[in-house]
Amino acid sequence: MIPEYLIRALLASVMISVLLGLLSPLINMKGLAFLTHATFHSLLFGAVLGMILGLIFENLELVMWTALIITIVVVLTIAELEKKGFTPDAAVGIIASFVAGLTVLSFGILYKVMAEKPYFPFSENIVSYLTGEVFLITLNDLLTLVIGGAFIFFLMILLYRDFLYISFDPEGVESYGGNVRVYLMILYVIVGAIGALIVKTVGLITLQVIAVLPGAIAMMVSSNIKKILAVSLFLTLTVELLSIVMAYKTNIPPSGIATIMLGAIYGVLLFRR
Amino acid sequence: MEAVLAENVNILYDSYRAVEGLNFKLEEGETLLLLGPNGAGKTTLLKTISGFHRSYEGKLLIFGKEPAEAKELISYVPQSHSLNEVVPLKAIEVVSVGAIYKEGFFHFRFPKNAIKKAKEALNFVGLKHEAEKPFNKLSGGQKQRVLLARALISNPKLLLLDEPLSALDPSARAEVAAVLGKIKREKKITMIITTHDINPLIEIGDKVMLLNKKLIAFGSPEEVLRDEIIKSVYGPLARAIKVESRLYCITGDVHLMGGHL
Repeated sequence: MIPEYLIRALLASVMISVLLGLLSPLINMKGLAFLTHATFHSLLFGAVLGMILGLIFENLELVMWTALIITIVVVLTIAELEKKGFTPDAAVGIIASFVAGLTVLSFGILYKVMAEKPYFPFSENIVSYLTGEVFLITLNDLLTLVIGGAFIFFLMILLYRDFLYISFDPEGVESYGGNVRVYLMILYVIVGAIGALIVKTVGLITLQVIAVLPGAIAMMVSSNIKKILAVSLFLTLTVELLSIVMAYKTNIPPSGIATIMLGAIYGVLLFRR
Repeated sequence: MEAVLAENVNILYDSYRAVEGLNFKLEEGETLLLLGPNGAGKTTLLKTISGFHRSYEGKLLIFGKEPAEAKELISYVPQSHSLNEVVPLKAIEVVSVGAIYKEGFFHFRFPKNAIKKAKEALNFVGLKHEAEKPFNKLSGGQKQRVLLARALISNPKLLLLDEPLSALDPSARAEVAAVLGKIKREKKITMIITTHDINPLIEIGDKVMLLNKKLIAFGSPEEVLRDEIIKSVYGPLARAIKVESRLYCITGDVHLMGGHL
């Protein structure tokens, strides 16, 4: 008999793998690793802020929604700075430093609020945002992940070719009538929204690696877009499911196992080159 | 009607004048070769004409319209090194970009007419059999021809080419120059081509402009490519020479002349 929490974890992993398997090659091709890093850190700020609000209003749902809103505000601000002429790295650097500072400050506020309103599930919650707790995913969390994930999946599929084109030659797309800024904004929001949806299950510490490495590995073994996507999806799915099974047997956090597996594959491929 | 009309145009970056004193007229079907050292403002001028850079003073009209309103009439071919070749697109996909953004926001599927047009354009530039080949696996000359095919697919009236011969070996330069000659002869499209090496293109150039942050000279090749004018921009070693009634320009940027010497 398979425990229900394990089934929920496996189903969540399938959704996570599909989203990251599709997104990861784009992050690599468009050179968004630094943006992804900043985006995922803004998730922690959003989560801490959400916990403060959650404690005040006694509503756990506020954590994910606040994280999502903060992340989207952050990516849109980065896009706006780029529009004003900052290079992508400079725009991310400015915003990331603000977000990092605000995260530390908000932790201070969170501790004060927690002292006044001791509401213990939250202390566990903040740890799960850092390390990921896929076995603690509730049916409600799973539903949100599946519905939100399905929406993002279809949006990505519909715009995938456009995302490739703006990665290849943004000026060309612009000159032939495409609105590069809007496509870029949507891509940034997708990065943020995927992060917000899966951070609790994957964990902030490993999210960056799991979002970047499958695409990087796929691009090392193929130069055809369909094959790259297939390898990225297969790799993410295999690693995610394997890590859950291994974590179930060994009681080690699955996101740690997944990250080490991906790192090992990437390392072996680099050495073979 | 003039294809391009510039009267007292100064191109600005904030309040700084990047290029100034532009006065010239290009007739429909003519080809302008835009010559100048690095940082002279050649790309800036192309981007202003194409409507990408909107900060300028003076009167600039493209077929009677402001650049931003004339975008549908213009195709811009960027320097090929500005492309992100990590993205593994096929040649036909690169060409199709020129057609699909005229309609719709989502391009999950290629419209059939875009594929048909892309194949025709690839055929025109002599790359019919390379359609399915990855762009990043093509030679430098083939890549430039793919970009030309992409530019042609939208039936432009004005073609802007930024350094189409840069980083190409002499045979690839000749290959690209031949396609540009074919575009001029068969499609009669007005072209503005920036280049460091004017020699492979001199036969298709109706007008030459020498630019160095301001308009130094504009006119026919014989009028502009004169020793005293060339030297004023490129220094005392630069010169224009005539060999068997053909004009060559030695600017110091380029040491090999047109493949004819």
